[in-house]
Amino acid sequence: MTKITFVQPDGASQTVEAREGDSIMQTALAYSIDGIFAECGGAMMCATCHCYIDDDRTGEASETELDMLDCAEDEVRPSSRLSCQIKVTEALDGLVVHLPVPEE
Amino acid sequence: MLDVPLNEAVTLADLTRDPYPIYKRMRAETPVVRMAQTGRILVTRAEHTKWIKENPEIFSSDDPTTPMKPAFQAHTLMRKDGAEHRAERMAMQPAFSPKVIRSDWAALYARIAEDYVSRLPRGETVDLFTDLCAPVAARILAHMLGLEEATDAEMIRWSQALIDGAGNFGYDPKLFEVSDAANAEMNALFERIIPRHQSEPNNSAFSVMLNARNPIPLSQMYANVKIAIGGGINEPRDALATIVYGLLTNPDQFEEVKKQELWDDAFEEGVRWVAPIQVSGRRVTQDVEIGDVAVAKDERVLTIQASANRDESIYGGTGEAFDVFREKHPHQAFGSGPHHCAGAQVARRTLGQIMLPLLFDRFPNMTLSDPSAVIWSGFGFRGPLNLPVTLR
Ligand code: HEM
Ligand code: HEM
Ligand code: FES
Repeated sequence: MTKITFVQPDGASQTVEAREGDSIMQTALAYSIDGIFAECGGAMMCATCHCYIDDDRTGEASETELDMLDCAEDEVRPSSRLSCQIKVTEALDGLVVHLPVPEE
Repeated sequence: MLDVPLNEAVTLADLTRDPYPIYKRMRAETPVVRMAQTGRILVTRAEHTKWIKENPEIFSSDDPTTPMKPAFQAHTLMRKDGAEHRAERMAMQPAFSPKVIRSDWAALYARIAEDYVSRLPRGETVDLFTDLCAPVAARILAHMLGLEEATDAEMIRWSQALIDGAGNFGYDPKLFEVSDAANAEMNALFERIIPRHQSEPNNSAFSVMLNARNPIPLSQMYANVKIAIGGGINEPRDALATIVYGLLTNPDQFEEVKKQELWDDAFEEGVRWVAPIQVSGRRVTQDVEIGDVAVAKDERVLTIQASANRDESIYGGTGEAFDVFREKHPHQAFGSGPHHCAGAQVARRTLGQIMLPLLFDRFPNMTLSDPSAVIWSGFGFRGPLNLPVTLR
């Protein structure tokens, strides 16, 4: 059982049970989490699944992921990730994912 | 498992005139069906079109048999897969990123939109389609691509020549003569402005590609710019015309949208309702089942995002109507998967955040006195062909 907590910019949080093998992005969509749009469906072509994860267990973003992150709508930080590029495993139980502030 | 059913009744002419009742019936009865006239397999349900686009190993964009190659005189990124596709696409993507739009283009776009809107004569009836939608889209794109030297008329003509060539499935040599001539003009311009972009780099697509640390071949830069010319004028133009039509024919929604300034929502609903690019083609690389229909290797499928955007399984019974206030669901007007529109954010910002607010701030009581005079057309690309409105 892998629990993942999504935290909105206003601090509101929701903890959900993720399915092994899904990506974090797919998990967010399955629970209709605000702030993850995933327009390209996980092809690393849209950066609308951008989130912040400060946790070594998810490893490092690849070169390609970093290039696409440059095209994200919101502020890119060292903890920025594309949530479609992280697969859910049991090892990630308790992971906290912060959603970006929508910029207008 | 079923064989692909055959539809001998429906023609491309029917689909060009009014595809929506036909797609509605296909979604219900034959969601995967071969159209006898073209031999291609039409896929009309949202679940299937999305799945096809997100699985490029099974459904490849690489198809040497389309007229796209002669039209663009190149094998373009739209028709490539995998690493090669990504390299060419990422070479250009930074110019279209939200940050660059904000830092480099937003103010300029607002000025361009302001300039073109202010030329419109108040109180008169004009064709918004030719007088505003097309030239604004052309001017904005010229800047974004780094082709300031090109006139609106040139951009519009090139775009149309490329599109007519790419849709030239009858391989009519006359259409390729027109696209060849346009290619020659574009190539000459590109060559002429290379020195400017080298000595004064900016964030335009051409500049970004030319000055990259590991540049892609010049021929592919040209091809990329041409794809953006082909894809960056008609779609925003058609989208704008569609949204204005939707608002003016639904006065209650129009009033509420103005009051609450819901221009972004109006944009999303417009492109959902009539997707400017209705159809995308993919080549099947292995025997596969789409739903319970068996499709063989080497078939060509046409994913109909126009139909997916009205699918009952997502929108219930109301998908056929323009309704800015419907419950929000993701639509497929920008495609999905690796070929998801590179200009989606550009289009949202230029139309939803700049053009629509400005247009209706200036002409809040615009009217369309005779909606039946508006002619809709298109199978691959769709939108109104005219939009005679009275500006007030
Ligand atoms: C409302 C406006 C627009 C709509 C509805 C739209 C729609 C689409 C769709 C559906 C595709 C995918 C085709 C496929 O799956 O084969 C696409 C691709 C593309 N669009 Fe757009 N588009 C719009 C505006 C723009 C603009 C303004 C630009 C340029 C700045 C642009 C550049 C591109 C490019 C370069 C591709 C190819 C992406 C690739 O193959 O990787 N589009 N567009
Ligand atoms: C007998 C006539 C036609 C046939 C047999 C035909 C067939 C096709 C096929 C097979 C595709 C998919 C291409 C692929 O494999 O990627 C396609 C796509 C398309 N067709 Fe046609 N077509 C015809 C006429 C037209 C006309 C008249 C138009 C324009 C109004 C048009 C516009 C398009 C567009 C825009 C696409 C999408 C291109 C893309 O996604 O790359 N076609 N057509
Ligand atoms: S879903 Fe598009 S980049 Fe992650």
